[in-house]
Amino acid sequence: MKRLDKKLSLWVVSFATIILVTSLGFMFGVSRKAIRQEAINRATDILENTTLRVNGILDKVVVAANNTDWLVVRHLDKPDSMFVYSRKILENNPNLNGCSIAFEPNYFKDKGRYFSAYSYNDNGTILTTQEGNDHYQYFYLDWYQLCKLLDRPVWTEPFMDNNPDDICSPDMIVSYCKPLKDRDSNYVGTISVDLSLSWLSQMISAVKPYPNSYSMMIGQGGTFFVHPDSTKLLYQSIFTESLEHEDSAMVELGHAMQRGDEGMRQMTIDGKACYVFFKPLGETGWSAAIVCLESDIFGAFYRMRRTVVFTVLAALLLMMMVCSRIIRRELKPLTQLSKQAETIASGNFGVVLPDDGRRDEIGQLTQSFTNMQHSLVSYIDELKQTTAQKASIESELKVARDIQMSMLPRVFPAFPNRRDIDLFAMMTPAKEVGGDLYDYFVQDERLYLCVGDVSGKGIPASLFMAVTRNLFRIVAQQGHTAAEIATQLNNILSHDNDQNMFVTMFIGCADLRTGHFDYCNCGHNIPLLDGKFMDVRNTNFPLGVMEGVTFIGESIDDIRDHQLLIYTDGLNEAENQQHELFGDDRLLDFISDKQDVAAEKLIPMLHEVIERHRNGAIPNDDLTMLCLKVIKL
Amino acid sequence: MVLTLFMSIVATSANGQGRIVFTPQWTAQAQFAGYYVAQEKGFYREAGIEVEIVHPSLTQSAMDRIHKGESHATTLQLCQAMEIIDDGVQMVNILQTSMNNAMVIVSRRGVDPLTQKGARVGIWSAGFGQLAICMNIKDSLNYEWVPFASNLNLFVAGAIDATLAMSYNEYYQLKQTGMPMDEKNVYRFCDHGYNVQEDGVYMQRDYYLAHKNEARKFAEASRRGWEWAAAHPEETLEIVMKYVNKNHIVTNRTLQRLMLAEVLRLQVDRESGKREFRLRPDMVENASRMMVEMKMLKNEVTYDQLTDEKIR
Repeated sequence: MKRLDKKLSLWVVSFATIILVTSLGFMFGVSRKAIRQEAINRATDILENTTLRVNGILDKVVVAANNTDWLVVRHLDKPDSMFVYSRKILENNPNLNGCSIAFEPNYFKDKGRYFSAYSYNDNGTILTTQEGNDHYQYFYLDWYQLCKLLDRPVWTEPFMDNNPDDICSPDMIVSYCKPLKDRDSNYVGTISVDLSLSWLSQMISAVKPYPNSYSMMIGQGGTFFVHPDSTKLLYQSIFTESLEHEDSAMVELGHAMQRGDEGMRQMTIDGKACYVFFKPLGETGWSAAIVCLESDIFGAFYRMRRTVVFTVLAALLLMMMVCSRIIRRELKPLTQLSKQAETIASGNFGVVLPDDGRRDEIGQLTQSFTNMQHSLVSYIDELKQTTAQKASIESELKVARDIQMSMLPRVFPAFPNRRDIDLFAMMTPAKEVGGDLYDYFVQDERLYLCVGDVSGKGIPASLFMAVTRNLFRIVAQQGHTAAEIATQLNNILSHDNDQNMFVTMFIGCADLRTGHFDYCNCGHNIPLLDGKFMDVRNTNFPLGVMEGVTFIGESIDDIRDHQLLIYTDGLNEAENQQHELFGDDRLLDFISDKQDVAAEKLIPMLHEVIERHRNGAIPNDDLTMLCLKVIKL
Repeated sequence: MVLTLFMSIVATSANGQGRIVFTPQWTAQAQFAGYYVAQEKGFYREAGIEVEIVHPSLTQSAMDRIHKGESHATTLQLCQAMEIIDDGVQMVNILQTSMNNAMVIVSRRGVDPLTQKGARVGIWSAGFGQLAICMNIKDSLNYEWVPFASNLNLFVAGAIDATLAMSYNEYYQLKQTGMPMDEKNVYRFCDHGYNVQEDGVYMQRDYYLAHKNEARKFAEASRRGWEWAAAHPEETLEIVMKYVNKNHIVTNRTLQRLMLAEVLRLQVDRESGKREFRLRPDMVENASRMMVEMKMLKNEVTYDQLTDEKIR
């Protein structure tokens, strides 16, 4: 048996768990969303500030080029002045790495095919040279061609500077290039200003909104030029790994960054869930991104969530224990009540139920139990009285039954001294006493007999039966015919019959000498003669229905050696448990081959057949059978 | 003066013992994997020759070194070799590695290069674009050629409409920039009647005639190197990366792996399905006739001019 305290505790804790899980789930969801938004805002702000700072520095490069190119185009007739201008830019902008003012092949007739005035900052010393030659055909290089072909200023992709004279910057550099045009707007060359990107790497790398976050920048071709893994710088692009291993998320991010989109992507990088925030860098075609690990952003949140979950679990466990204890304490009176109820159930009604003065449901239940106990005690007393009364009635009924049965002739053979009469009868009341009757006697070599069925059952019917039987004896002994007996009986019974009781009856009178059989059927079942229904033309009313009626009798010339079975409807209407009647057919079938069976055997056999048909069903009516065969000697 | 004389004697002496300085036509990459393998696995040493692999620099191309006698063997594309011979420099093919043409034209997404008449198309300033020039004339495409030095930034930045590329090199570099590549925007010369062999190892004829034995040994050991590379691509990649890193080449393992696979694929003859390591006379004749027609050669360059059957 599962204890109620455990059951209730489980219900309470389960309900509490559902409420808590729902609330916490909602709370965690909202918190996560807020943290995510906060991270987006934070990263976006940092990215915004960083790009502003980068753009600020790049703008200085643009301004430096713009401040010089007008001088260049104004003095296209003085090629050597280009060295001065390129040098001047570096002198005025110590942060710049180099400056080339390069011209189309053979632009200056006396300078040959190549002319590129190049100044560079060599650890604080500004050196100037002409850098074009057969091995360094600058006009095929990006920095020269891009702005020429696009006809607008451009930023090149970052690159490692190498030139034929080993004028090499250890840093990654980037160039801002601007086309130079003469007065007729014809392209004549390119001015290119170089900027080291080491400061950019430092600046971007320092951007760390979270402990493990990192920054990266890609050029227009997707090449990394800022990345925590220095082996990737310039050597790999954001698409490199996806060349061999499909990574659609990374490819999409790369394309978005190349397009100059600004935004955020949630993706997996190196097996770790990340948020990538990206933003283009002005007009450069580059894009900067901050990669933040999800575990960094939501680290504190996850820790908090873990703690809350464990705390809640512990609290629920504690709640379960406390609930169980409280409920058990509260239900303790019920346990006592249960034990005392069992004592009462065992018959000890004198047990005193506890009264702890509680006014709650348990108090009410105790009070109800007390009331029930008192009611039970008084009920039991009443029951005792009723039982005693019933026993008395039953005893009286038994006496009444004995008296009733003693009124009927029950000694068989009925006429031990007469071999010419084979007669047997049996009456079985449905209740203690019945309303069926039979009687027979011999007077002046005439055998008078009757079988009757009083309407109704029980004591009223039995009293009416007793009256009827006695009347039959008195009237029949006067030597009347069956019809006369019936007429007289009817008049007596009908008179003052306030209860409207009646009795069906078959009355017969056999002359034992001649075998003449005179009979009158008063609304009774048609008897069987030699296994067939008798030829009864006048059924008549039952006795006691209407006073003054003359009953009509009939007769058979010689009934000797013929088997006559008279019975009440308790035989053919005997019901089994399915309320199926025994019926005439079964009766006829039974008796069809038993004309030669003695009455004393036939009646018990028939009674047994009826019992079998009932199959345990309570008898629905009194059953009376009488079998007669007058034997011709 | 004394030092110069000493160096000259050492060099001569070394040459006498079978020393070859080999300079591929480009910087270190998987395109030359077979030679790196032959060197690293000791195939040259086993063949009885001492080989030094010296890559060209920005200041000195491979042919510059050949002309100056600083290098004795180089790799050339067939069309390049024909141009050089047509210009009067007699070169001999001692080993042909490529059996297929690798050149492609890549244009923007969804654009067929053949529909871009008058387009600005990138071409290597160092040469290699002979077939494209032929096609441009033959098909009257009127491309405006824009020479570029070594990278594809002009195309990526949108400064040109299309660019020439090698299927083992620039093609993958472009993919690495996120450039979408499909059948429509990539024109493969080999699929359109221009399947002319490319890389082979060449020596100047004079040098070759004086060092036939060394040339044969070098060719055989190099071929062995390529065959080993085909059988051991991952180990070959390690060797390639060693050369790449040593020469500070701006590339990465992924690109080199893809390049190696493609170069090895191009070495398999389409018809025989084998690595034949030979110049195909039909391809030589086809390329020569085409270049003469397009006036890129003054005279036809024959198979015999390119080879010395005795070393095969």
